[in-house]
Amino acid sequence: MAVIEVNDLVKRYGRLPVVNEVSFSVEQGEIFGILGPNGAGKTTTVECAEGLRRPDSGSIKVLGLDPVRDRRELSHQVGVQLQESLLQEHIKVWEALDLYASFYRAPKDWRELLEEWGLADKRQARFATLSGGQKQRLFIALALVGDPKVAFLDELTTGLDPAARRITWELIKRIRAAGVTVVLVSHHMDEVEELCDRVAVFDRGRIVALDTPSSLISAVDADQHLRFRPLAPFDDAVLTGLPGVVSVTRSGNRVIVAGRGDFATAVTSALARDHVPVAELRVEQHTLDDAFLALTGRTFDTQET
Amino acid sequence: MTGFSKLAKVESKLLLRDPSAIFSMAVPLFILVIFGSGTSPGDTALPSLSMTIAVGLVGLYMVPTTLATYRERGILRRLSTTPVSPGALLSVQLILQLVFALLASAVLVAVSVVIFQAALPARVVAMVTAFLLGTSAIFAVGLLIAATAASGRAANGIGVLLYFPLAFLGGLMQPKEAMPELLATIGEFTPLGLFRQAIYDAWSGAATQSLLLAIMAVYALVIGLVAARIFRWE
Repeated sequence: MAVIEVNDLVKRYGRLPVVNEVSFSVEQGEIFGILGPNGAGKTTTVECAEGLRRPDSGSIKVLGLDPVRDRRELSHQVGVQLQESLLQEHIKVWEALDLYASFYRAPKDWRELLEEWGLADKRQARFATLSGGQKQRLFIALALVGDPKVAFLDELTTGLDPAARRITWELIKRIRAAGVTVVLVSHHMDEVEELCDRVAVFDRGRIVALDTPSSLISAVDADQHLRFRPLAPFDDAVLTGLPGVVSVTRSGNRVIVAGRGDFATAVTSALARDHVPVAELRVEQHTLDDAFLALTGRTFDTQET
Repeated sequence: MTGFSKLAKVESKLLLRDPSAIFSMAVPLFILVIFGSGTSPGDTALPSLSMTIAVGLVGLYMVPTTLATYRERGILRRLSTTPVSPGALLSVQLILQLVFALLASAVLVAVSVVIFQAALPARVVAMVTAFLLGTSAIFAVGLLIAATAASGRAANGIGVLLYFPLAFLGGLMQPKEAMPELLATIGEFTPLGLFRQAIYDAWSGAATQSLLLAIMAVYALVIGLVAARIFRWE
């Protein structure tokens, strides 16, 4: 069952379309990723679905509701964490949760959320004194306090250190486990690869691909590389004739085999058959970065300014 | 507890934790205490002046800074994704600041009367009317600052920059008689000048000048509407 349906969404700022005929649907219970460089239209798309912005054309249904017309009803059923949003400097953690809980018809017990999100010992702490990771956990807890069916999380781990990001990822998996559909906006490839069931890749206001992260990666039509150090001499011709192998090159005592598809298995079995033991075997697999490059012809990082 | 009343409760706690609340209370009290010993018994000019300083600081300094900061921090925007609208927070803030200004004024009246033998307010109804109309006019200016300032810091700066000339013109820094005639006349029609005069009239028992009340009402309405019109939520 689709909980979010977006059809031909267009949103312009001035005359410039920032979201241009975007269509996708999000299924019940999945973590749906919206990936793309800054300025690709990700946040604008999500803000239209949250009812914060009015689309110029196209339609959006979230849980069967129109986000603009049925905004109040929808707000009871969705939880939102906004990019670059803060709380009042002097508000205490428990006060924020207690306050937001009071907005909803059927809120969760915020005391449980405090425990669950590791904020119990920060209960009396003021917002301004929290660390980046603690603030993010509080924002997630606030997004969940209304017991939503859908949670929108925008650039959740930006500004967090690697350890805090890992912890946050585990927590997001827990949200899905509880049956909440999650829409995750991110410009971090690794995050999307780790968490999302499906991902829509945005570029310049359009969706350039929509699939599972692994399908997007395996669809990359470019050579992969296998590197190893042979412990016995062998003839390159043993490998060059194998299916999928494109080239074999030597660099010092290393051998680099370029190829496509399942060539790595063919290479390792050929070497084993000829009794060539190898050391330091590495397969360089494609990542979503490669997928993005293949889809747009541009690298991801150069888009960030 | 419903969203609105909980919002009011939490926001009033936050107001009391805000150092600028202490500042807005302490400054007029300080002026009253320092100059109070030099006044003759029954005097209501200095108490009226201190009350004007209190309401001026709340309206021109606390109101715009708080609201612009809430917008800058994305708090208003975050609220618009919940069943409670950001307008509720705006209303709660204006009501709380009004209550705070009222409490500060009550403290100043009490200190004036009890410690410095100021006369009791002669006409209470007129004084409450003057207070409500004048505070609305001053808050409207504060709201206009909040509507136009890009950030909380900017709102704070504009508020302070505006407070001093208005306080000067309103006769809060020196007696009106010591000012050039033109400035004194202009000053009578500024929000703080109107408030001080209207409160003084009611407190001392002088005849109510309906013109002053009418101008304050017009300020409140016109400036308030303009502010509401151009106020941005994000």
